[in-house]
Amino acid sequence: MKLNRRVFVGTGMAAATSLSAPSVQAASHGKPKVVVVGGGAGGATAARYIAKDSAGEIDVTLIEPSRSYYTCFFSNLYIGGFRDLDSIAHSYGTLASDYGINVVHDWATGVDRDAKTVALAGGGSVPYDRLILSPGIDFVEGSVPGWDVSAQNAMPHAYKGGSQTELLKAQIMAMPEGGTYVMVAPPNPYRCPPGPYERVSMVAHVLKANNPTAKIIIADPKANFSKQGLFEEGWQKHYPGMITRIGPDFGGENVSVDPAAMTVDIDGEVVNADVVNVIPAQKAGLICEAAGLTDGNWAPVSGHTMQSRMDENIHILGDSTNQGDMPKSGFSANSQAKVAAMAVRGALTGSRVFPAKFSNTCWSLIDTDDGVKVGATYEATDEKIAKVDGFVSQTGEDAALRKATYEESIGWYQGITSDMFG
Amino acid sequence: MTRNTGIYASVLGGAAFVLGVAYGWTARDYRGEELATLSEALRQLEARNATLAAQVAESDDLDDRITELEASLAAALQALEDAKVAAAIPEPVAEEPSVEPQDPPEEAQTAALEFGDPARGEEVFGQCRSCHQIGQGAKDRIGPHLNGLFGRRAGLHEGFRYSDDMAMMGADGLTWELETLDAYLENPKALVSRTRMNFAGLKDPQDRADILAYLRQFSASPQNIPEAAPTAQAREVELSPEVLAIVGDTDYGEYLASECKTCHQQDGSDQGIPSITQWPTEDFVVAMHAYKRKIRPHPVMQMMANRLSDEEIAALAAYFAQLE
Ligand SMILES: Cc1cc2nc3c(=O)[nH]c(=O)nc-3n(C[C@H](O)[C@H](O)[C@H](O)COP(=O)(O)OP(=O)(O)OC[C@H]3O[C@@H](n4cnc5c(N)ncnc54)[C@H](O)[C@@H]3O)c2cc1C
Repeated sequence: MKLNRRVFVGTGMAAATSLSAPSVQAASHGKPKVVVVGGGAGGATAARYIAKDSAGEIDVTLIEPSRSYYTCFFSNLYIGGFRDLDSIAHSYGTLASDYGINVVHDWATGVDRDAKTVALAGGGSVPYDRLILSPGIDFVEGSVPGWDVSAQNAMPHAYKGGSQTELLKAQIMAMPEGGTYVMVAPPNPYRCPPGPYERVSMVAHVLKANNPTAKIIIADPKANFSKQGLFEEGWQKHYPGMITRIGPDFGGENVSVDPAAMTVDIDGEVVNADVVNVIPAQKAGLICEAAGLTDGNWAPVSGHTMQSRMDENIHILGDSTNQGDMPKSGFSANSQAKVAAMAVRGALTGSRVFPAKFSNTCWSLIDTDDGVKVGATYEATDEKIAKVDGFVSQTGEDAALRKATYEESIGWYQGITSDMFG
Repeated sequence: MTRNTGIYASVLGGAAFVLGVAYGWTARDYRGEELATLSEALRQLEARNATLAAQVAESDDLDDRITELEASLAAALQALEDAKVAAAIPEPVAEEPSVEPQDPPEEAQTAALEFGDPARGEEVFGQCRSCHQIGQGAKDRIGPHLNGLFGRRAGLHEGFRYSDDMAMMGADGLTWELETLDAYLENPKALVSRTRMNFAGLKDPQDRADILAYLRQFSASPQNIPEAAPTAQAREVELSPEVLAIVGDTDYGEYLASECKTCHQQDGSDQGIPSITQWPTEDFVVAMHAYKRKIRPHPVMQMMANRLSDEEIAALAAYFAQLE
């Protein structure tokens, strides 16, 4: 990441800005301006909904350094050989051509909250009436001793989309016969709670076909994880004997790595590994911290509108937020973006505003045609986004249902990516 | 008696169309002549069907056409069935009152409502026989045979080719029990959106209770099926006219719909997840209430529907119906 830290101009003192009732604020200079930082699940959706529903009344600028967005969702299916990389890449062309969104391929390096401008790495700044930040995650330094971002080529995280995912897959394919893959799993909270375990399933799927004597070790600092019963049942059924998970009771939280030697030390026991997938502890995208909008590792927001608790002119979406009960997922970010888009339009053009509703469903693939899912609905209270109702797939479901669940996930991927990118 | 006529007229082509319209105009005047015309039209349709069936044997591409034809044949058969009934029992005409309709005494009616009368159900089932066999030696015809129906998983009966939607509902867990069958008979498309069963539904709870009491006799363990359930449950499936009459706020619907569109694509693509664009309003409303009451399977949809108020369901239905 070629982010120039010196240019960050976060103004912590603006935190005292009063959170008065929103009023319709037409900017003094023509159309109201919305700037969105980050063209991922949250940002692309927000930009598209505001542009689409305001029908030209609001000027929307999307700042995103990459020309192609590789989704993290379904990146595990790429690893498992169920998708190719092109099928999970999306461009910003339609957002620009069909929705009139001003797409700027650059890094946002700072936010001047008093002047209401966003500084760009390429120079210059962009003014806003409302700012939306959806920069995803960054990693907590030092959370896995021995690992930092400079080691990500030796020990990839593959927890941001694109080249990291490709690298991890190449390493798995190149494993020697009977080799060892180690995953260092992250502590809570992190993006996509079932993500590491779906990944293990997909790695096992590839190894079973190409390298059946290979081993998978998970060093996990968490006692329990998402859809645990379903994953463990599936691993037993499809990949017996291949996967060992070391939880905190056996030292799974006491892990360090040596990228040069390709070793992992799990509670004093040194494992020689062929592939080490380090998924470090996570925090809000750096721009949130730079703008002075974080409290601890995450950016607190109000569930009613997704407004920052520290600046009513800024809405924050997705993985970066501390909002309450929703998991950090693409589905959640997309759902939050729609609430924010409605609130922003209401504030800037006086359009109707309805009570916020949120939902999330995460599908995971365990093996061919063996899909499972977990989901919930949420509503906004004054304190947080609170869970209303939920469900999870059951162990022992029949093959027809599991297959239907997998097929549903393909439809969902199609749906959510067109909802993001048009 | 005339409840299905309008729908046939709009749905069917060819002979079935003629049948439907003719029947709609002059239901109470049917006599032997008209019946002969109808039967002739039907013979033509069957001839057409036979020709097509032969072609299908040669080419798999004709699959869909035979499905269409099956549907029109079924509808024509039913129209004929209805016509026969209409011809046999003329409806009373105001000017020349003839036989008063013979209402059973009040108590008997209540009892029948509670338990369902299999004997009467057998009569009502007459209109189903053109497609469904039941009893000894029953085989799949246009529709699957109905022996052992209770407790059977929808869309999974070996050897029968179901619509994709029925297969999906079955995979999602839809099982044929009193409650689900009752909902299906009331309005097939509200429970299984694009079912191949081309039948408008039995609106009268008594008809459904009776038919279910009849069908129930052909399932392996009728003793496992609670007595008196069909109509008791039926009360729940039915929506009050007030709920159906709510006029949806499309603006609100548009906002609520943004949540649906994460999975259901607006352009009507339906890979893995069905399209809901331009779903007829009433079917949409009934289907959402069926999810809410957990009659339709699928945990995501049950959860989503569960927190929607009657007004919100109406708003969504109104929005999706007008979507292009
Ligand atoms: C392996 C894996 C599997 C997953 N599977 C699923 C799944 O099945 N379902 C699901 O719902 N979710 C899944 N997720 C989670 C999902 O990918 C994230 O939760 C989601 O992408 C979060 O959206 P976001 O908008 O917060 O961030 P992102 O989608 O990460 O978008 C952030 C964007 O902001 C840009 N950006 C960052 N900083 C700046 C800056 N300073 N200036 C300009 N641009 C910036 C980045 O380039 C990026 O494009 C998975 C994640 C992983 C890692």
